[in-house]
Amino acid sequence: MKEHPIIELKNITKNFGDQQVLRGIDLNIYENEFLTLLGPSGCGKTTILRIIGGFEEASDGQVLFNGDDIAKLPPYKREVNTVFQKYALFPFLNVYENVAFGLHLKNVDEDVIINKVDKMLTMVGLKGYEKRDVTSLSGGQQQRVAIARALINEPKVLLLDEPLGALDAKLRKDMQIELKKIQKEVGITFVFVTHDQEEALTMSDTIVVMNDGIVQQIGSPIDIYNEPQNRFVAEFIGESNIIEGTMIRDCLVKFDGIEWECVDKGFRENEEIEVVLRPEDMDVIPATDAKLCGKIVSKVFMGVHYEYMVETANRQYKVHTTENYELGTEIGLTIDPYDIQVMHIG
Amino acid sequence: MRLKKISLGPKLYIAVCFLFFYLPIAVTMFFSFNSSKSLTHFTGFSLHWYEKLLTDQNILAAVYVSISIAIFATIISTILGTITAIGLSKSRKVLKEWILNVNNIPIMNPDIVTAISLMILFTSARLERGYITMLLAHIAFCTPFVITSVYPKVRSMDHNLADVAMDLGATPFQALTKVIVPLLRPGIFAGMLLAFTMSLDDFVVSYFVTGNGVANISIIVYNMTKRINPTINALSTLLILAVVIVLVGVNLWPAIKAKRRGNPKYQAVTKRKSKKLVPILAGICIIAVGITCVTQFSAISSKQVLRVFNSGEYIDMDLIAQFEDEYDCQVVYETFDSNESMYTKLQSGATYDILVPSDYMIERLIEEDYLKKIDWKQITHKDDIIPSLMENNEFDPKNEYTVPYYWGTVGILYDTNVVDEEDLAQGWEILRNPKYKGDLYMYDSERDSFMIALKTLGYSMNTTNKKELLEAYDWLIQQRETMDPVYVGDDVMDNMISGNKALAVVYSGDGTYVIDENEDMSFFVPEQGSNVWTDGMVVTKDCNNMELACQFMDFFLDKEVAIQNTEYIGYDSAVQSVYDYYREGDYAGNPGCGPDTSNPLNEVFRNQPQKIKAFTANLWTKIKSHK
Amino acid sequence: MRHFKGLAYPYVAWSFALIALPLLLIVLYAVTSGDNSLITIHFTLDNFRKIGDPVYMNVFAKSLEIGLIVTLICLVMAYPLAYIISWFNDEIQSILILVVTIPMWINTLLRTYAWVSLLSDNGLISQLLGIVGIHAPAMMYTNFAVIIGLVCDLLPFMVIPIHTSLTKMDYSLVEAAKDLGANNFQTFRKVILKLSLPGVINGVTLVFLCSISSFVVPVLLGGRQYMLIGNLIEQQFISIGDWNFGSAISVLLAIAILIVMSLMRRIDPDEKGEK
Repeated sequence: MKEHPIIELKNITKNFGDQQVLRGIDLNIYENEFLTLLGPSGCGKTTILRIIGGFEEASDGQVLFNGDDIAKLPPYKREVNTVFQKYALFPFLNVYENVAFGLHLKNVDEDVIINKVDKMLTMVGLKGYEKRDVTSLSGGQQQRVAIARALINEPKVLLLDEPLGALDAKLRKDMQIELKKIQKEVGITFVFVTHDQEEALTMSDTIVVMNDGIVQQIGSPIDIYNEPQNRFVAEFIGESNIIEGTMIRDCLVKFDGIEWECVDKGFRENEEIEVVLRPEDMDVIPATDAKLCGKIVSKVFMGVHYEYMVETANRQYKVHTTENYELGTEIGLTIDPYDIQVMHIG
Repeated sequence: MRLKKISLGPKLYIAVCFLFFYLPIAVTMFFSFNSSKSLTHFTGFSLHWYEKLLTDQNILAAVYVSISIAIFATIISTILGTITAIGLSKSRKVLKEWILNVNNIPIMNPDIVTAISLMILFTSARLERGYITMLLAHIAFCTPFVITSVYPKVRSMDHNLADVAMDLGATPFQALTKVIVPLLRPGIFAGMLLAFTMSLDDFVVSYFVTGNGVANISIIVYNMTKRINPTINALSTLLILAVVIVLVGVNLWPAIKAKRRGNPKYQAVTKRKSKKLVPILAGICIIAVGITCVTQFSAISSKQVLRVFNSGEYIDMDLIAQFEDEYDCQVVYETFDSNESMYTKLQSGATYDILVPSDYMIERLIEEDYLKKIDWKQITHKDDIIPSLMENNEFDPKNEYTVPYYWGTVGILYDTNVVDEEDLAQGWEILRNPKYKGDLYMYDSERDSFMIALKTLGYSMNTTNKKELLEAYDWLIQQRETMDPVYVGDDVMDNMISGNKALAVVYSGDGTYVIDENEDMSFFVPEQGSNVWTDGMVVTKDCNNMELACQFMDFFLDKEVAIQNTEYIGYDSAVQSVYDYYREGDYAGNPGCGPDTSNPLNEVFRNQPQKIKAFTANLWTKIKSHK
Repeated sequence: MRHFKGLAYPYVAWSFALIALPLLLIVLYAVTSGDNSLITIHFTLDNFRKIGDPVYMNVFAKSLEIGLIVTLICLVMAYPLAYIISWFNDEIQSILILVVTIPMWINTLLRTYAWVSLLSDNGLISQLLGIVGIHAPAMMYTNFAVIIGLVCDLLPFMVIPIHTSLTKMDYSLVEAAKDLGANNFQTFRKVILKLSLPGVINGVTLVFLCSISSFVVPVLLGGRQYMLIGNLIEQQFISIGDWNFGSAISVLLAIAILIVMSLMRRIDPDEKGEK
């Protein structure tokens, strides 16, 4: 699936005045994949999208589309379409006219348009809304119109700029599933921008974590979650305990004065490293059996599990477990070797 | 508060305010159906004034000019303003600030300053003034209004929408026309309305920048106000009706549309129709522009043109039409309201073939080399002119330049019911008789006002002695302080016909006219002496068609023509037979008719040295500005 | 949107040629003398010195006085009108506003001319008063006539901005004020008046600007001796032919107006927000 990149970004930089928002981005986007650009606001992810869409020009670097440089190509000549953050529907047109906008520009025969619009609206579940005024639609419905309007042009790539940002939590969940479904159905590449890590993890084939104009890590959701390559990724995605330690040798790491077995290899001996421990990977065992002991100092019920803060000799650990313990209980903690993720200090 | 029942008091207040708004309009409409000229007494229903209006070529031309200029100025300034507002939101800060600030100037600046600055510009650029300069000026003051109403909409618009359009395959131009313009529609519409209103209503700017006989409604109305003319009321009434119909129509349209929208058939049809509406409208506009240009230029090229610049209400326009027919030519006719303003117009670069100034101005024009000698051989009626007007003219000693037109003196028109006969012995000094405080009109003319003071003081009205002029100045200032005189222009006639005040300084011919209309009035020329004036037709250096110019002047010396013209104007004709005809006929016994030229104290105005002119002008400004 | 940046350029050229350049010419005339032609000029400040003459200062003072009176009358008349109009439901409101705007569409000269027949010494008003037995004083060619003419001409310019700001107002603020215990009068004074201030400022500026520089209304209703700045300028340009002095007055008027404008902007809360 991943042999043919449809879009290649090569060493892209972008300056706004004297502010550098992208500092050398290299990125390959493949056919049929759902790729998510994830990062905090201001990290440059939307700028990448706008460069691909043709709304911004890169200060330096190359944008290749199927191998051709499209840096100078205006947006209306690119085979990509965008779904904008706040729907950006044309308020003076009704649902039908909004969706048909692109086809009207191409002077497509009206009968063909009617057919295609009908198909699109059926796909996004808005059949029968043709004559409705777009301003009278709910947020979710507007979003669907925006998607239909972009997809009707049969782009090779669909760019989505935080499309779910303005929806409420419940609707958001539904739309995530819906979007994934639509992507499967039309079988084209989606490039999705979000700052919501959960959204990224649920929908994506590939996640590109960005910060400060630099790509931090590219990988599948599972890779990104389980094997964050640096402290930023670890902190940004999911919750974690990050602890400085030393790599004694391959598969043996030492932190908090205790040696642990792990699965990581390829570090120098006695290299200073950081260890990521996901709170749900910390197992609670009786204190008497444990290498690492501590006392529960806070307890919050989170629905499925409890979140405890455990005070140990060196630090507090965040621990998630479904077991119920009283405040002040002395417990022991243990971690399985494959749950220990060792990172270089970045 | 809202939707609560509104009590009677506030409603009454609204009614009173609207009464105030509409009272003058209602009166205008009412008197447009009056059978007589009066604007105060309704004498019977008649459509006479409408008939007159619809046959008056000048008014119809002005209506055309007003409307076509308003339409073109609106279209062009709307397009220019809209694209500027769109471009502005993305421009660099310096550019943005420049445009927004410069843009504020025509809005904030008084009209008069804008008008004058444009006049100076066109003069300096040697642009021939007329339709095009008026259009340029209108676009110049309309566009800022469009920008100020569109720009806020551009700023509050969702800029993503333009990106969306281009993303969906629209070229920048398509994005502009299909997305941005529809988004800005309310702002554009508001700007358009504003521009149209401003252009249609404009007087000051048009007045200063126009030329070559091109006049809009405002200018025509301004010229017409010199004499009572209920045609204006008829014009107002028609314009008001048009405006009301248009505005009500525009405001009701959305409601009608909304009702029809319920019908799906309608929608399917209109979608296609409205698509074609814009090109159709654009086409109509282009055709209209084309026709305008063609008619403007073809009219000029196909016929001989004679440009005549005359004092207001100083010719019977029917005779001009007659002349045009007889000689197959076109007369571009314009009017001025004083010799001085005529001179200013010449100075600002306007060109004419024939002027009709007064004696002293003719002298000045001769001195400053503005005039061409007349080919007297072509004036067949030369011998019909009153001989005394052809001899001993100090302003044109050999009579090489002037064909006398009308002549007369300056005197005092008085209401015999109010003014005591014995007070008349005071001569000009009656104008300072406290008995008539607040009951007199002075004539708004610099030289005649000084003439009155100088003659009263026993000096020559052509004095170059500054001391004497200062004395005259004091006399006039003192008069302003003690007598509260109202300085008027030609509206003096209407006022005196209505008997509004007891005394008025008028030209003898105006006196004749007023006395003819109101028998209570009489006229006398004070013994201290007065101004004996002659207005003459002269040909300028710019004239390329001496033959036609001579034919024109000769035409107005023809007895039949001169009688009809005199009938309209009421002054003393320079044609002997016509002069006699009225003196012995219609105006027999009318003291305004037939100036008494025997008084040795009477004088003719002479052109004065530049320094004295400037000195007097300055004093005159002070007199008029005096509180 | 960056594609449309260039759209502003034509207007830059246009505004320079037809707005900035003419003004520069006026300034040039104002600081020179030389017979209305630009060939024989020499620089001088005499034109400005001449304005210092008390006679001309009086003209300025009188224009200012008329401007202030007209603005005040317009404000006092227009505010209640706009306020009452805003009480009605939307449909009636738009009709009422239409009724206010229609006169703006009718030629100012025609409307002013209509006042002549109403106000003249034997005109309709004095006739009507005569029937009641009141001997009307002369109204035509007085301050009164000019003020009436200007108020009638300019009132819509005051009503419309005030009405706009009243209808744009967030009505929940009024409710909040009442909820906090303000009575009707207090609500009006402390909330509504304040919120409609931008409209008032707009209206006041417009009316004041138009009235101090007006030129036609004083000629028709005030007589030729009735000198406001506009008339003085017209007189210098048209009948006296002293373009240099006329330009100097124009420049001074323009500067005065710019000062008034910037003062007005300082009070306007809307403008503050923008900067």
